[in-house]
Amino acid sequence: MKAFPLYILMIVATLGAAEPDAPSAGEKAYAKGDFAGAVESWQEEARHHGINPGLLAALGNAEWKLGRKGRAMVCWERSLLLDPHNAVALAGIRHGQNAGGVERPGATWPETYASVAGADLWLLVATLSFWAALGAVLLPRIRRQPAGEWNQRLRVTALTLLALCIPGLWGARSLAHRAVIRKTEISLRLTPTQLGEATQAVNEGDVVRTGRPFNGHIRVTTSDGKTGWLRAGEIEPVWGGGLPADLDQKAAP
Amino acid sequence: MLRLSSLLIGCLLLALTAHGDDRVNWEITPRITAPGQPFRLQIQVDSDVPLGGAQNVGRDIRPPRGMALRLSGQILRPDSTEATLNFSGVAPEQEGEYVIPSFNLRFPRKMISVPEIKLIVSKTVAFIRTNQARAELSIPDRTFYVGELIRGSINMRGGEQESVVASFGLESVAEGFTFGVTSDRQPLPAEMGQGLQTSFELTPIREGLNEVIINGIMLIQSGSTSVFNNAGRDRPFTFRRRIAVEHVPQKGRPADWSGAIGKFTAEPQQASNEKPEVGEPIRLRAVLTGSGNLDRIVPPEIMSNEVWDVLPATERRRHAEEQRFFVYTLVPRLPGKQKTPEIRFSSFDPETKQFSRLVFASAEVTVTGNAPAKVDLVTRDPAAPIGSDAGLKLSGLAKPDPASGSLFSRHSMIEPLAASKLFWSSNGLALLLIVAATGVILIAGYLASHPQIIIHWRAKRGLQRAIRQATRARGDAPAFAKIATGGLKLGCAAILGAETEAMTQSDILRVLPEAKRETLDALFDAADGNKFGSGTTIRTTNQEEALILLHLVRDLL
Repeated sequence: MKAFPLYILMIVATLGAAEPDAPSAGEKAYAKGDFAGAVESWQEEARHHGINPGLLAALGNAEWKLGRKGRAMVCWERSLLLDPHNAVALAGIRHGQNAGGVERPGATWPETYASVAGADLWLLVATLSFWAALGAVLLPRIRRQPAGEWNQRLRVTALTLLALCIPGLWGARSLAHRAVIRKTEISLRLTPTQLGEATQAVNEGDVVRTGRPFNGHIRVTTSDGKTGWLRAGEIEPVWGGGLPADLDQKAAP
Repeated sequence: MLRLSSLLIGCLLLALTAHGDDRVNWEITPRITAPGQPFRLQIQVDSDVPLGGAQNVGRDIRPPRGMALRLSGQILRPDSTEATLNFSGVAPEQEGEYVIPSFNLRFPRKMISVPEIKLIVSKTVAFIRTNQARAELSIPDRTFYVGELIRGSINMRGGEQESVVASFGLESVAEGFTFGVTSDRQPLPAEMGQGLQTSFELTPIREGLNEVIINGIMLIQSGSTSVFNNAGRDRPFTFRRRIAVEHVPQKGRPADWSGAIGKFTAEPQQASNEKPEVGEPIRLRAVLTGSGNLDRIVPPEIMSNEVWDVLPATERRRHAEEQRFFVYTLVPRLPGKQKTPEIRFSSFDPETKQFSRLVFASAEVTVTGNAPAKVDLVTRDPAAPIGSDAGLKLSGLAKPDPASGSLFSRHSMIEPLAASKLFWSSNGLALLLIVAATGVILIAGYLASHPQIIIHWRAKRGLQRAIRQATRARGDAPAFAKIATGGLKLGCAAILGAETEAMTQSDILRVLPEAKRETLDALFDAADGNKFGSGTTIRTTNQEEALILLHLVRDLL
């Protein structure tokens, strides 16, 4: 039993030692300006060890440097889903909007509120609060005893947290229904059909709000409030993926 | 008048379409040819009207696959009703009987149908190929890639008896490719003998199995005289080649691949001025050499940094040397010995099917002058026109930190917890269990506080069983009495809240005041009298009354 704290110390020391001080191959390549090499290196790392906000944001930077706006925006947006305060991803998106002409819908107040914590954190807190409140209500009844002072405090705290989570959950849900346009030279269509009339041009890298799917198309709303239909293969949802999907057109360069 | 004009038009149409007086003869020389052997086709037309020159003959005639056939000319005689058309052709390479489908000859005043023409190709015919002039298609035999530049040539080789003096009419019918002649009618390399060479470039534009058809005519000259004397004559050729085209593989494709397919080498960068001042633009030239689709390559991009402002590339190409120049304008921002940014470039080799990466090595430049007080990292888009929105201050990208948050938050997919079925099903199941447990506890508690509910329910079930058994035991008086007495005791005990065995006739009368005392006495006597030696037999009427009493007690429960 005495060995347990020692074991924990060893783990912490190992984790500390594992933190690489020397730049990785991807970082070296990025610093040298070999952005394609950096992308390859970081993608390889992501495939083998999984992704994290920092890696996604770095990948977004390298993709942006290669001129692949769509892939870069997907990386940055996904990085922010995992860590809403990731400085590299925030700077990348700001740079994309300022310099790259990328359009991104402005955040509503529930979305701003939700971005204080990650979507999963809101749901976890809400779930825990719900169970805590339910437990606090049921436990005295099961024990056939009146609710004590601590039980009352627990009920109030849990119900307050649950109430505070509701706008966060709503904002997170709203943030989840977004996608990045991955194809160049496409337009919103009036109808979700092959011959749907083009209504407004949209650019690669633009972020749109997504609605219902129909007939292989998805209804989207652009940052300036224009709605229309885009083919499902022309956009990539922010949620539900790891590295950006390979949607590059196969046509001859 | 109308009738007359209709008659005239009818007569005219009849005259125009009449075939009765037209005679068409054809002759192929030789009648049977060897594979690849040239032949002549002569068509003679004899009509009832002056014919003149045939129009668009090549458009209507459809030679079979592998056969080259071209109109050589027509013998024209003024106001003659006869016409002779000569074709030259080359037999297909495969043995068999080939049919040129029926086609129309369009003369100014008449259209005449030519019947099917047959040509037999047989290997039994003696034919020395090297004696004749012949055309050969030279093109690599492998899978090609969309966007690749395929170089090929048509080698028109003279024979021992014929020489090639000219060529014309090269055309390509190749859907899925772009076709362009790069050099025409060049002398053949010495090792190939006398002849001409026409080089061309093909670029596949879509994947799949595509067919390239190239047609043309070469002019040949022969000194000898023979049956097939083609002196000063034209000879057509046609090539059909199926070519497999694929897209450049996705696997292993570098992120900066910009469409280069071929074999290239990158030469070191060359700066126009090796000692510029701070702020003085210099031109940086990168030369890409090699064989491949140089025209289709998107120039590699150099990003501005703290040392250099970079303006977008311009480019030039020197076609003959298979080179392409990328020229960048760089403006130094800091003094000192500086290296120009490396230019990276990826290409795909279609023969090894591998991607390779090239680097245009940096050039060293000594920048003179003074450094500005502060150098901002890419603050403005250097290529933006003055006063435009694009020239607004840029925020720049932050330095990447791929290790941040990597200790405990590695994900294979970014799936929201809200999309997890396990999360919702486990929470839903827990809630359902709690609701169910609460319901069970509430019901059990209610029943515990109201025990008569279960007593009445059990008594009712016992009474129903007693009624069924009593009905069946009518013939057996003692058994009937025992069952009926037991049922009445059970029911009345539940109603009175007493023990079943303690019930007497008086207790039953308290529950059922309308019951007759005699009937109950007889029933109890028949049921239990034997114990005391005074057992009697219950009458049938009493049995009916007992059954009625059992039903009454059941209804009271």
